[in-house]
Amino acid sequence: MPVISMSMGKAPAGINPPVKMLNPAADPRKMRRIIAEDPEWSLAVVPSLKNLCLQHIVNHFEEKPILNELLPSQKAFVLEKLPTFLPLSLTANLISDEGYWRRCCEDRWGQRDVSEYDLSWKRMFFERHLENIIELFIPDQTEPKSVLDVVPLCQNYVRRLKITQLLPPIRKPPKFNEDDASESASDLGDDGPSIDHFDFRILLNKLTNLEELQLVYGVRGCGMNFEWNLFEFTFSDCQFLAKALQSCTTLKILKINQSNVDDDKCRTLVSNLLDHPSLLELDLSHNIIGDRGARALGKLLNRSHLKQLDIYDNKIKGPGAQALAHALSKNTPLESLNLRLNQIGDEGGQALAQALLKNCILLNLHLGANELTEPTATALSHMLVHNSTLKRLNLSCNRLGEDGGKAMEEGMSHNSSLLECDIRLTGVRLESEYSIKKHLHTNQAKGRQDTAASR
Amino acid sequence: MSRAGPGELSPAVESDSPEERIAARRLRIAARTEARTRLELGEEAQEQEENTEEPRTSQKQVDQSEKRMIKLQTDGTELVTNILVAADARETKRRAQLAEARTLRNEKLENEAKSSLEKFEEVTQNWPVAKAKEIPQDLRDALKSQQQLCMLITEDKNKLINELQHELKSSDDRYVKELKKQAEDVDLMREKMQEQMTSLMKLYRQELDLIENSFDDERKTLLTSNLKKWEQQRKERSDRELEHLLQRIKQKEENEVLLHRLRVANIKEYNMMKLNLETQSEILQQNIQKTKATNQLNQEKLEYSRHVITHRKMETIHIESLQRKRILRLQDSLKNLKVKCASQEKQAQEENQSLTDGYKRSMLEYKDMQKHLRHFAAVDAERFEEIWLMNENEAKALVHKVLETDRVIYEQFLGLAWAPPHVPFMENSGPIQPQHQAKRTAQQFAMQALGEVEEKREMEGESSTAEVAGLDRRTVKKLLELLCDETGFLIESKLLKLLSPLEKDPQSFIKLHLIFSALGIENEEDVYKMAEFFEKYKQQQKDQPEEGISVSNENELVREMDSELVHPNHVVKALHAFTAQYCRPRDLQSQKQSSVLSLEERDDSEDAAYWESMANVIPESKLKVWNALEDALSKYHTVLTERSKILIDTHHLKQQNAELTALLHQYLSQKGNTELKIPPTLVMQLTSE
Repeated sequence: MPVISMSMGKAPAGINPPVKMLNPAADPRKMRRIIAEDPEWSLAVVPSLKNLCLQHIVNHFEEKPILNELLPSQKAFVLEKLPTFLPLSLTANLISDEGYWRRCCEDRWGQRDVSEYDLSWKRMFFERHLENIIELFIPDQTEPKSVLDVVPLCQNYVRRLKITQLLPPIRKPPKFNEDDASESASDLGDDGPSIDHFDFRILLNKLTNLEELQLVYGVRGCGMNFEWNLFEFTFSDCQFLAKALQSCTTLKILKINQSNVDDDKCRTLVSNLLDHPSLLELDLSHNIIGDRGARALGKLLNRSHLKQLDIYDNKIKGPGAQALAHALSKNTPLESLNLRLNQIGDEGGQALAQALLKNCILLNLHLGANELTEPTATALSHMLVHNSTLKRLNLSCNRLGEDGGKAMEEGMSHNSSLLECDIRLTGVRLESEYSIKKHLHTNQAKGRQDTAASR
Repeated sequence: MSRAGPGELSPAVESDSPEERIAARRLRIAARTEARTRLELGEEAQEQEENTEEPRTSQKQVDQSEKRMIKLQTDGTELVTNILVAADARETKRRAQLAEARTLRNEKLENEAKSSLEKFEEVTQNWPVAKAKEIPQDLRDALKSQQQLCMLITEDKNKLINELQHELKSSDDRYVKELKKQAEDVDLMREKMQEQMTSLMKLYRQELDLIENSFDDERKTLLTSNLKKWEQQRKERSDRELEHLLQRIKQKEENEVLLHRLRVANIKEYNMMKLNLETQSEILQQNIQKTKATNQLNQEKLEYSRHVITHRKMETIHIESLQRKRILRLQDSLKNLKVKCASQEKQAQEENQSLTDGYKRSMLEYKDMQKHLRHFAAVDAERFEEIWLMNENEAKALVHKVLETDRVIYEQFLGLAWAPPHVPFMENSGPIQPQHQAKRTAQQFAMQALGEVEEKREMEGESSTAEVAGLDRRTVKKLLELLCDETGFLIESKLLKLLSPLEKDPQSFIKLHLIFSALGIENEEDVYKMAEFFEKYKQQQKDQPEEGISVSNENELVREMDSELVHPNHVVKALHAFTAQYCRPRDLQSQKQSSVLSLEERDDSEDAAYWESMANVIPESKLKVWNALEDALSKYHTVLTERSKILIDTHHLKQQNAELTALLHQYLSQKGNTELKIPPTLVMQLTSE
């Protein structure tokens, strides 16, 4: 800015003499590029009229945005000089230059990795902008208009929303303070509907390009102010969200993590996601989904195009896993299933193994830390003999035992498609582990050869 | 590697990248055909085969490093994920412990609840006992014991609460520991990842260097080998070029010698030729002079002929002018003639007008004449009939007479029984009807046509009309059948019912009879006419625009047409047209002619025959008899006449005799006699003796 003001200050001095003197050629000083006797003289210091005009455009861009009428070089000049604090309503649909948006992003959040956003700074800016607005949205206090105002500006550019926190209504804190003062845990039951979070219904149906949505119904970094209520995902929240998801037909990936999603909420979500036209990936990990929720998810598998389902760290037990296995046995389009840190036990493990005998689509299966034992291992080994599509199998942290390891070893010896099989911390003997790894290596080598040949 | 081997043969394998090898493998078939041509060159192919082994080392290097890197990566990820797995295992263990602790706690709580309940019941049981006590000391004791019991219960509860609080604290501690542990784990993981990253980077760089080195080596070896090859080939080439040069020099010398020899020979030949040519040129010059002389002569002749031609030309010009004048004159005359022609045309038109008027007048006159003629014809007919009747009567009388005479002759002269001959004309009176016998009725004809075709010969002999029409009998038959089928509407339905039991032929015959009667067709000729008309009709339908052609022309055309008859759908139309064209005029004619002009039409040949028959009432045999009889009678007559004459003679002679006798008597009796020496009587006696 000081540079500009300097040039502005000097400009009249440079311009005026030729206006007064009718013949500029008569002045020898004007015709010279370098004037040795004047140490401060430089022709470059004198900005050209063109630059001055462009500078003027930049200075008054807010009142009179002139951009598309300019020549490409002039446009680049203006875009380089434009301040980043211009109102979004002006710039959102007018400026598509990445350089400008890069400056905006860097001014606001510092250095960032743009590769996550398809190398589009503009997308990054708008996504993060909208995320910030939603994350700082306090129900009943912040006006929904503040969100809705931004929507028309960013709806063309937002593809992904990664919301890491949702604040509860502000009415809580005084209560919370009171409770804090009384130092009791009596606040567990008395807040009814007022605890609802941001209502997504007003937003999702307007974002026409949204493909990915990540949500955490909780407060980030609450520190010592921890309170159970901060992490409450109410039923009406769930209903609103489900309705909103139903209206958002472009959504491909949905992640709701660490939000205390229980069976009932899971069922309402699923019932609204049935027959969703585009949903490909669903992540409900770190929740408290039980068997009923798992059954609902099994139904969803049969009535959607889901390719990936992550429900690790939940409370799914045998019956839930059986429901999922039943869905899998009907050859759903699912390619990846993650059931880590559940308690499906042998009951569920055997059911899944039997389902995989019929399924020929699933590629990845994660059954780590699921209280599986030897019977499941034998069932899985039987499955491995017949199944030729499964590529990755994770059985870590299960007590398969030595006999289970032997069964797995035998199953592996007949399989030629499995590329990865994780059997760490399963109590398998070293010999069988070694032979399984050997088999895997041969399979991998073959797979590599095939890919090379297909290339 | 083994797959890459054959790929080397293809021309694409100059570099060592695997993609190109794959491409080369795909092109293996093409490469083999090319290799065949290469084998012809021999050495080069061998050299290339030698080259095949070198890229293999680099490929091996790439594969090895790839494998190594993959192994390192998997090992690294395993190292990192080990932490995760360990954490998972710990978590599951913790959860199991928690669950166990929870069950223990629950059991404990339940036990405690039970024991406290028992104690509470004991207390409550003690209350009525305490109430029953009346002595205050006892009551106090009881109360105390109750109090103690209550104290026990509360103590128990407090203990439990303390325990639980302990547990809570310990679990809090554990939570903190867990958090710390997890933070440590995360840090560890991060560290390990960092390490992994750096080591991997380093290794990648090393491997890259190795690969690059191997590629460099390969390139160098390739370069050197290629350079060697290049040098060798260059040397070969220069040697060959030297050889070529020497050869060329040698050849050049040889060629020069040859050239010299050829030149000498050519000079000799040239001299010879020259001499020859000179002599020839002299001869030719002489010839030229001769020809010049003849030329001059010719020139003079031509000059003369030119003169003649110019003269002629003058003449022709003169004639031309004359002709032109004549043409002018003739044109004038042509104009005059044209004018005359126009005037004459006018005149001719006027004349034509007057003549047409005259023609009209004469037509009127002609019509009058026709009227008169008709009148006279009627009169003539009447008169003819009268005369006919008169003559006939006369003839009949004569015939009668003849017959009578015949009878008389037979009966009287010959004494035979007379049988009167068959004389049909005797019953006839008035002029005979000529058609009566000659033409068969249409029904008969139809019968015949339907019935048989075998009688064709007879028919051809009999019916001249059929031959005149030139129609095949079969077409006629077809036509009749067609009519039979198509024009059923002309027959009454009752009749049809009656006819249904009959056989086909008679049925169709009767139908035809009815149809003919309805159409007014009476005789065979009409049938043929109808057939002809149908042919024509077909023709007309074929060439509608030529309707204007006269009927007579069409007749000829029809004869050439073949048997394809009218389409059944058009039959009714055709019939309608036929009846309109033929039957109506015939009706009109018949009205007039039957009464008036019937005689004009009648042929006189019949009449002649009629009269002839009348004349020939007496057959030839009879005439012969008659003639013989006449002869005999005439002879008899002559005999009779002679006799009559003789009779008369005798009569005369008798008379004479008588007279003579009288005379004699007189004579004798005369007195003179006796005076006579010899009387007559004596002479008479003597003669008699």
